[in-house]
Amino acid sequence: MSAIRLRAARFALNAAAAFSLGFILLPLFFVTWLAFFRQEIPSFPPEGYSLQWFAAAAANKSFVDGFILSLQVGIAATLIGLLLGVPASLALVRHRIPLGPGVNTFLLLPLVMPGIVLGTATYVFQIEVEITTSVPVMGSLVGLIAAHTLVVIPWVVRLVTASLAGFDRSIEEAAQNLGAGPVTTFWRVTLPSIRPGIVAAALFGFVTSFGNLEMSLFLVGPGRTTLPIAILQYLEWKIDPTVAAASLIQIVLIGVSMIVTDRYVKLSRVV
Amino acid sequence: MAWFSISHLRKTYGDFIAVDDVDIAVAKGEFLVLLGPSGCGKTTTLRMIAGFIAPSSGRISIGENDVTDLPPWKRHCGLVFQSYALFPHMTVAQNVAFGLETHKVPEAERGPRVMEALRLVRLEGFEKRYPRELSGGQQQRVALARALAMEPQVLLLDEPLSNLDAKLRLEVRIEIRELQQKLGLTTVMVTHDQEEALTMADRLVVMERGKVRQIGTQRELYERPANRFVADFIGRSAFIGGKVMALGQFQTSGGLSVACRSASVVGPATLALRPERVAIGSEAEGLPNRFQAKVVHASYLGALLDVQVALNAHDRLLLQIPNRAGLSEPRPGEVMTIGWAEDAGLVFGEG
Amino acid sequence: MSTIAPEAVAGGRTRLAGLLVVPATLFVALMLIGPLAILFRYSLNKFVPGQFMVDALVIENYIKFFTDGYYLNVLIRTVRVSVICTLACLVMGFPLAYVLARTQSRFKNLLVIAVVLPLFVGNAVRAAGWMTAFGSRGALNASLMGLGLIDQPLEIMYTENAVLIGIIAVNLPFMVLTLQSVIEGIPRNVEEAAFSLGANPPVMFRRVLWPLALPGILAGTILTFILAMNAYATPVLLGGPKFQTMGPLVYGQFAQQNNWPFGAAISFILMTATIVLTMTANFIVRRRSR
Repeated sequence: MSAIRLRAARFALNAAAAFSLGFILLPLFFVTWLAFFRQEIPSFPPEGYSLQWFAAAAANKSFVDGFILSLQVGIAATLIGLLLGVPASLALVRHRIPLGPGVNTFLLLPLVMPGIVLGTATYVFQIEVEITTSVPVMGSLVGLIAAHTLVVIPWVVRLVTASLAGFDRSIEEAAQNLGAGPVTTFWRVTLPSIRPGIVAAALFGFVTSFGNLEMSLFLVGPGRTTLPIAILQYLEWKIDPTVAAASLIQIVLIGVSMIVTDRYVKLSRVV
Repeated sequence: MAWFSISHLRKTYGDFIAVDDVDIAVAKGEFLVLLGPSGCGKTTTLRMIAGFIAPSSGRISIGENDVTDLPPWKRHCGLVFQSYALFPHMTVAQNVAFGLETHKVPEAERGPRVMEALRLVRLEGFEKRYPRELSGGQQQRVALARALAMEPQVLLLDEPLSNLDAKLRLEVRIEIRELQQKLGLTTVMVTHDQEEALTMADRLVVMERGKVRQIGTQRELYERPANRFVADFIGRSAFIGGKVMALGQFQTSGGLSVACRSASVVGPATLALRPERVAIGSEAEGLPNRFQAKVVHASYLGALLDVQVALNAHDRLLLQIPNRAGLSEPRPGEVMTIGWAEDAGLVFGEG
Repeated sequence: MSTIAPEAVAGGRTRLAGLLVVPATLFVALMLIGPLAILFRYSLNKFVPGQFMVDALVIENYIKFFTDGYYLNVLIRTVRVSVICTLACLVMGFPLAYVLARTQSRFKNLLVIAVVLPLFVGNAVRAAGWMTAFGSRGALNASLMGLGLIDQPLEIMYTENAVLIGIIAVNLPFMVLTLQSVIEGIPRNVEEAAFSLGANPPVMFRRVLWPLALPGILAGTILTFILAMNAYATPVLLGGPKFQTMGPLVYGQFAQQNNWPFGAAISFILMTATIVLTMTANFIVRRRSR
C-alpha cells in the first residue's frame, strides 16, 4: 500500500518537474512550429508546411545585419571581458588583496543591475561623453561593445573564480617542486586546470551579449541594430513565419554551441 | 527465535546483481555485523533494511511485521550514517528531538528523552551547540543519540567509525558495544574493517560479490571458515595449491605430500594454513607434516615476527614467531624445520 | 635573512595581484558608477517642452511620479506582476530544480541544456512563441474550439495573464538553476536521515529541505523579482501598448517623449524600488528563519 503511495509521490514530483520544463520550452516549440507553416498568418491548424520562410528570413536585411552586428559585438565584448576579467579573478582568488571581497562584489554588480537602468545610464553617459569630447560615441559600434563588455565581466569573474575555488594548490607546488618556474607553472598547470571555467565564461559572456535586449535598446543607432532588437521591432509590427524562421536559426545556433561546449565543460557544473 | 529477518533478499540493477539471495535471521538484542570488501553488497543490504532501496525480490520482517513495502519513515530503524548526516541547521537537542517529533511523542516527554539520549552518549551540556561546532567524535555521538532517542526496533550502523581517527575508533567501538548490550538493542552494522567487526559483533555475516559466504561467530569463522574467501578475509592464511589424492591426503603443486584431516573430496584443491599453527624447530618434532623450509623474508612486528618461507620452488608459507627473549631473528636464506598437525590445515575444493 | 625572504616575495606578489584587479575594477567603475551618477544628475534637471532639457537642481520629476495616479498605478501594477511571477516561479521551479539536482540520469546534461537554452534565446523570441499560441486563431484557441470547449476565442493576448505567463516562462530557468545548485549542496544523506527518523516527505521538506535550501530560495527569488520588475520585451509584446509597466514606461520617456529628466527619475525609482523591496524581503526571511 505504502509502496504504491511512495511511487505515486515520486510520479507527482516528476510530473510537476516535467510540467515546469514543458512550460519553459513551450514558446520555443511554437516558434519552431510556426517557422515551417505554409501560410503567412499564424492560424491553427496550419494549411501545410514549407521551408520558404528561411529564405525570406535570410533575405531580410535587418535580420542579416542584426545578426552580423550581434556577432561582432558579442565576440569583441567577450574577448575584452576575458582580458579584463580573468586576471582579476586570478588575483581575487589567489591573493589576499585589500578589500578583495568588496572588489569581487563590485565586479558582479552589473549582473544584478536592471537592464533598463543600465541602458538609460549608459545612454546619458554616452551623451555626456559626446558633448565633452565631441567624439560620436552614441549609436556607435565602440559604445555598444563597451556597454556589452560591462555585462560580460560579471559572468567571467563569477565562473572563473568558481572554477579556481575548487583548484588544488598543491598541484602548483608539485609543478614547482618538479622544477617549473612561476611562468611555466602558470601556462602548463594553472591555466589548463581553469580552462573549463574560462570556456564557460566565454560562452556565457558571449550569449549574454548576443541576447541582450533591454540595455541595447537605448544604445543602437539608425541602421545599426542587433538581432534581438530587429526581432523585437518586427514582432511589434506583426508575427509571421519569417520572424519565426529567423528566431529558429538563432535557437539552433545557440543550442549547438551549448551542446558543443558541454562536451568540454559540463554545463550542469558551471551554471 | 529470530526477531528480525531477511529472506531471499535480492537486488539487481539491469544485469548487475548487487545482492543475491541473502538470508539472515537476527535474534532480539543481537549485534550482527555485515562484513566484506567494498562492493560486496553489504551497504545495499543495509539500505534495503532501512527502506531506501526497494528490493527486487525477497522479504524483510521486524518482530511480527513484514516491513518490505513500508517507506523508510514507517520502519522505526534508527540509522547512523557514515557521514553522520546531522541536520546542520538544528542544534544538538533539536537533532535528537527530531525523531520524537515525527513519532508524535508528547512535548512534555521529549525533553527528558533527549536528555537521556545525550546522557547515554555522554554529551550532556552540548544541547545548544550546532553540529559544525562539534568535533568528529562528538558529531558521531549526536548521530547515535538521535537514532537511539526514538527507541528504534532495529539500530542500523553504516560504517559508523570510519570517519574517526584510529585512537578514538578503539574507544567508540567499546562504547557502542556496551550501550547496545545495556539497552538490549537489536543492531546491524556494516563495516569493511575486520578488527572492528570482530571486537563488536555477536555474529558476523561475511559477504562477497552480493552473496553471503558465511554466517557465524568470530570463533566459527576463524576456526572453521566455510570457503577460501572467508579463510583469506578473516585473519591471515597461507594458501598452497595442489590436489587431494585420497582421503586425508593432499599433494602440493610442488609435490609435497601433506596429511590433512579435512581433505575429503578427491580433486584440485587449496590448503589453507593459519601462520600461528605452524611450529618451528624443536616444536615441530613429532608432527605428521614436517618439512625443511628456507626463509625468504622476515619482518619484525614488535610482539611477533612475520616470516615467509619457501618449502620448494612452488610452495610458500607464512609463519608467526612470538618475540621471546633470546630469539635470534631468522635471516633470509636460513634453513629451518617447520611442521603442523593434521587438523591445522584446511582444504577447500576448487569451485 | 632566509626567514624574511618568503614574506618579501609574497608582498611583491600581492602588489602585482593588486595590479591585475585594477583594469576590470576601473572599467566597471567608469562604465557603471559614472553613468549612474550622471543619470541621477539628469533626474534633477528640468524638462521644458520645446526647449528639451534645462539644467536645474529640482526634485519635481520625483514629485510628479508620486503624485500622478497614472504613474503610481504603473508602479503598483509592476510590483503586483513581479510578486505573482516570483511566487509562481518558486512553486514551479522547486520540483524541477529538485529533480535536476537529484537525478542520476545519463541525460542530466541535456535536461540542464533544455533549461539553459531558452535563457539565451532572448525574451523577444520567447514572446513570439506565446504570441503564436495565444492569438485569436492561435494554437490554444484553435484546439479549445476544436474540442468544443469554447465557441468564442478567448482573449488572452494583450492581457495581464499573457504577460504573467510570459514573464514566468522567462524567469523560471533562473529560479531553477539557482535552486538546483543549492539543492545539490545538500547531502542526500540528510534527507535520508530525516526519513529514517520517521519524517514523511512533506515533513522532511518542511523541516529539512526548505530551511537548508533557504539561501538559494532567497537568491533565486531576488533574481527573478529583479528581472520581473525590469521586464521590457514581454510586457511590450504580450501586454500591448495599453499594458504599461515600468520598463516600457522608462523607454517611452527616453525614446518617444524625449523627456530625459523624467525618464532618468523613473529609472532611478525603478532601481530603488527593486533594491528596497528585495532587501526588505531578504530581511524578513532572515529574521523569520532565525
